[in-house]
Amino acid sequence: MSALIAIRGLRKTYRMGDENVHALAGVDLDFQKGEFVAILGPSGSGKSTLMHILGFMDTPTEGSIVFDGQEVAKLDPDLRAWYRSNRVGFVFQSFNLLPRLTVLENVALPLLYRENSDPAANAAAAAVALGRVGMSHRLDHRPSQLSGGERQRVAIARAIVGSPSIIFADEPTGNLDVKNVDLILDLLGSLIKEGITVVLVTHDLSVAERAHRVISMRAGLVQEDRTR
Amino acid sequence: MKLFDRIRPAIVNGLRELQANKVRSLLSMSGIILGVASLVAMVTVVQGMVGNFRQFVDAMGGIEKITVTREQLPKEQEHLAELSEGITMRDVERIRKTVPLVANISPEARVGFERLIIDGRETSTYVTGVTADYLPVAKRWIDPGSGRFVSGLDVLNMNDVIVLGSAVVPELFSANEDPVGKVIKLRGRRFTVIGVLNNIEGTGMQVRSANSRSSGGAWRWRNSGAFIPVSTAQAKFIGNDRLSGLGLRIGDAELLRDAVEQTERTMLAGHKGLRDFAISTNEQTLEDFRKTEAAFKLSLGGVAGISLFVGGIGIMNVMLASINERIREIGVRKAVGARGSDLFLQFLAEAAVISVVGGVIGLVVSMGIVSLMNYILTQALPTGAVATLDWVIMSQGLAFSVIVGLVAGVYPALRAAKLDPIEALRHE
Repeated sequence: MSALIAIRGLRKTYRMGDENVHALAGVDLDFQKGEFVAILGPSGSGKSTLMHILGFMDTPTEGSIVFDGQEVAKLDPDLRAWYRSNRVGFVFQSFNLLPRLTVLENVALPLLYRENSDPAANAAAAAVALGRVGMSHRLDHRPSQLSGGERQRVAIARAIVGSPSIIFADEPTGNLDVKNVDLILDLLGSLIKEGITVVLVTHDLSVAERAHRVISMRAGLVQEDRTR
Repeated sequence: MKLFDRIRPAIVNGLRELQANKVRSLLSMSGIILGVASLVAMVTVVQGMVGNFRQFVDAMGGIEKITVTREQLPKEQEHLAELSEGITMRDVERIRKTVPLVANISPEARVGFERLIIDGRETSTYVTGVTADYLPVAKRWIDPGSGRFVSGLDVLNMNDVIVLGSAVVPELFSANEDPVGKVIKLRGRRFTVIGVLNNIEGTGMQVRSANSRSSGGAWRWRNSGAFIPVSTAQAKFIGNDRLSGLGLRIGDAELLRDAVEQTERTMLAGHKGLRDFAISTNEQTLEDFRKTEAAFKLSLGGVAGISLFVGGIGIMNVMLASINERIREIGVRKAVGARGSDLFLQFLAEAAVISVVGGVIGLVVSMGIVSLMNYILTQALPTGAVATLDWVIMSQGLAFSVIVGLVAGVYPALRAAKLDPIEALRHE
């Protein structure tokens, strides 16, 4: 079975003053279609760098990434934007909804930047996505009128609206109360049924344990890769 | 189409930002508002003044008129003063014979500010002795039913006849009285009114009430005055054969310079080389005015330019502040797939929206300024100033504001486009 993402020898080196910092020091990993994976590690372990590179927000210094059969390690910014718009969804710890836009507009945002984007179709797709996260009743609200859990559900709707192959959730429960943590993690976990690969990036072991596979990172390297 | 699809949400977004930051946006627009308002208002008013001046010059006989007036002898000829005969009808004859470019010659002999009396009513006005040629030279006429002008026969016979300016009539006659044929007294002599000159204002756009003292308004001075045969004026009032001046009308305005030169030579020859006359044309006045106009346009354009420049800086400033506040938004937009060019367009459109809205407000303000200026100028200037905004100037003003907005938006928009999404998302 060919992996959705196959990374080999991935390195990312930053220059900090006179020193080279190796955020990723040679990572080999495969991600399968429809997998629920957690990347666990303390801050500075390289997990965020890995997420940014896999999420097409950054490029590696060295190494190869094959995404859906295509080598994507060194794409120009516009192509990376295309991948972000068409293949990847992000869920952030602080929700990152745009305050001036309505819930519906926030969710439709990723579709705005696609080619042949059509406002009516975008709104319809956004409404469907909001239905899937149980937020159909709040389409015209502003993010500020929602609770934390609701905001994160909207953010998940935004991540899935473009039917991505993979969703990166960066500490998605960090700002939520216990009740909502379960709800959000269940919601994310349920996405794999649609063939979406869900990658949970966290430093919280209890959150990571909800995934089917936990990759522990330390000092830019994979320390442990455990499937339950 | 595709570009428009990208720009449309950017414009909607720009309007939304404007709405969300009303006060700040208004402040940032103030420069553009002032710039556009002053640009449009000034260009309009200057154009209005130019237009009025053209009318004014036309009323003075147009640019095809040459005026010859009596003048003191220059210093080097002062000792020859007793040889000077002044301007006389002989000059009229000489010019008529030797300067064929001149179509009409109107000799004018000023009698002075005189009282006209009839049946206990009286008024004072300027009385001038003229010939029939006065009409074509001054571009005046007598409306049908208003009598006739001084004729060649009147001049030949030194008739005691008088033609009144239209503003004089209501001073001496009641509204439904026909002045033609009435006899009025001028320095004790009885003059028969033979005609009334056309009302200059009545021929133009602005018709004003004829009952008040200000009737005739700005053109009042052109409608006053009274005219008698030049021979009558010389023989019965002035007491010599001197004229106060000549008005010459040439057939072709293109040949004005030649006509002036030939007239000058003829005059000099007739006056034995004495420079006891001066020749002037409206062209010089017009030229002077053109210079004034250019100076006006330059300085007012400079003011407008500076305020537009400042307006541009204001917009740039606000855009940079806005981008600083919205770094996270930029990060989010990039994370969900926006390209640098999408964000560039978004912020450029936002700057354009601010400047267009500012420009439109500026146009509204300019309308106010223009009507205010019109009000002030009609009070202050003899010619009045009726400046009207036309859509060409207004669209130019608006285009200016758009250009300023776009230019001012480029740098902030580039900054937004170049932001690193990861850094932007981390920004607090």
